[in-house]
Amino acid sequence: MANEITYTVAFEELQQIVRDMEDGEITVDELAIKVKRAAELIKVCKNKLTSTEEDVNLILKELEN
Amino acid sequence: MSENRQIFSLQQVVSSIRKTIEERYQSSYWVKAEMHKLNLYPSGHAFPELVQKENDKIVAQINASIWNHNFQRINKQFIQVVKEPLKEGTTLLLNVKVVFHETFGLSLQILDIDPNYALGELQREREETLKKLQAERLINANQLLDFPLLPKRIAIVSADTSKGLSDFMKVLNNNPWNYQFFTMLFQAYLQGDVAAPSIIEQLKRIEKVKHHFDVVVIVRGGGGEVGLSCYNNYELCKAIASFSLPVLTGIGHSTNMTVAELVAFRNAITPTELADFLLQTFHDFSVPVNDARKVLRTSSSRLLETNKQLFSAETKHFKNSANNYLLDAKNTLVVTSQKFKNEAKTLLTRNREHLLFAQKECFNYSNRLFKVNREKLAEHRAQLPLKFANRLAKEQQHISELENMVRLMDPKNVLKRGYSITTINGQTLDKNNPVKIGDTIKTVTYDFELTSTILKKEEHGE
Repeated sequence: MANEITYTVAFEELQQIVRDMEDGEITVDELAIKVKRAAELIKVCKNKLTSTEEDVNLILKELEN
Repeated sequence: MSENRQIFSLQQVVSSIRKTIEERYQSSYWVKAEMHKLNLYPSGHAFPELVQKENDKIVAQINASIWNHNFQRINKQFIQVVKEPLKEGTTLLLNVKVVFHETFGLSLQILDIDPNYALGELQREREETLKKLQAERLINANQLLDFPLLPKRIAIVSADTSKGLSDFMKVLNNNPWNYQFFTMLFQAYLQGDVAAPSIIEQLKRIEKVKHHFDVVVIVRGGGGEVGLSCYNNYELCKAIASFSLPVLTGIGHSTNMTVAELVAFRNAITPTELADFLLQTFHDFSVPVNDARKVLRTSSSRLLETNKQLFSAETKHFKNSANNYLLDAKNTLVVTSQKFKNEAKTLLTRNREHLLFAQKECFNYSNRLFKVNREKLAEHRAQLPLKFANRLAKEQQHISELENMVRLMDPKNVLKRGYSITTINGQTLDKNNPVKIGDTIKTVTYDFELTSTILKKEEHGE
């Protein structure tokens, strides 16, 4: 999970791309790259909504220490 | 010791005391005291310890009693008004009668307890907690935390038997959008005197593993509205307010909000409502993500379309511009060439005129020169015979002068005038051709030629 992008970062980056798109800040040259990136970010965000990564056993172990 | 001493039986004394007390304390009194211990017995009777404290030191203490029927009535009234059962450690306004019993001794018989006073006391505790937190600037400390974008990992402080907990979990787990939460239960008592330390204890445990969690929720419900004054407990409220994760409460009641709920990051009336709030935050995240997809699609095609239009407009514009430019250039060329042609013609004409003029000039000049020279020549020709005759005469004169001179020079003429010429061997006599005595010399005169011999010689001195 450490090297994975956090949903906060993913969400903010996605929002930024959307804002740029709406404000017409994106040029045709960047369009393909931005759309691809946005698609990735959407996937990341969607996954975050529907999955959990925490491990109860690990937390219990930490509580005992 | 006196001889006539009077001896009483214990019963006599105790009865006397009772009588005295009964006479002295005939009516009942309202007394303010702290109920230190309740001492409720299975019989339904309670034998509370009443104390008065000053600076935490007990300055007065007495045992009391509440008979079963009184206790039932008082407790019912209490729960109705105060929303709390009678509990230890609170200051109460009691209606008491001083009683003395031969075997149980002195005590206060509690006839009634004023629930409104107790309510006031609770209110006072609530206000005190608020005031203290205010002074410590903790009132909105929890509310100032950043709320996570997605409160996915939830530490739940509740009891596994709580209906509030099952309501909460049901809403979270059965959501139709398949949002996944990670939850972990931290068991605690949720009401009564034991609740505050129990919840504080669990908050401390959560603090140890807080990096696994986004929020803490305290949920309770289904236990009626009694026993919630623990949520005004200063220690508990402080623990919530100063907690490093947002604490959300859903402890389900309809009366005044407790301090714990006031200082929590967010309070929901019920656990269900709290779960709905969490789902809503997921929506708040999910909706823009879905919208982003739409926006990306429409914006992309719009951007492409716009650029296409711009490009085609630009192409058209370029074509027009180029055509105009060419047309302009062509016109300029025509005009320039016309101008050049005219200029050249003008220049040519002008030069031709110059040339003609020069030619004429030249012709006139040479004619004039010709004429002048011809005249000069004619003049010279006219003068020539004249000059020639003069010259001839002059030359004749000169010649005749020279003839005269020559005639005068002729030896004949000299001889005529008496002179002679003497020679020896055909040579005139002079220093270089001297004569000696005896030489034969020849002398020529005008009329004769004489031959002589030298007899004498004399030298002329110079």
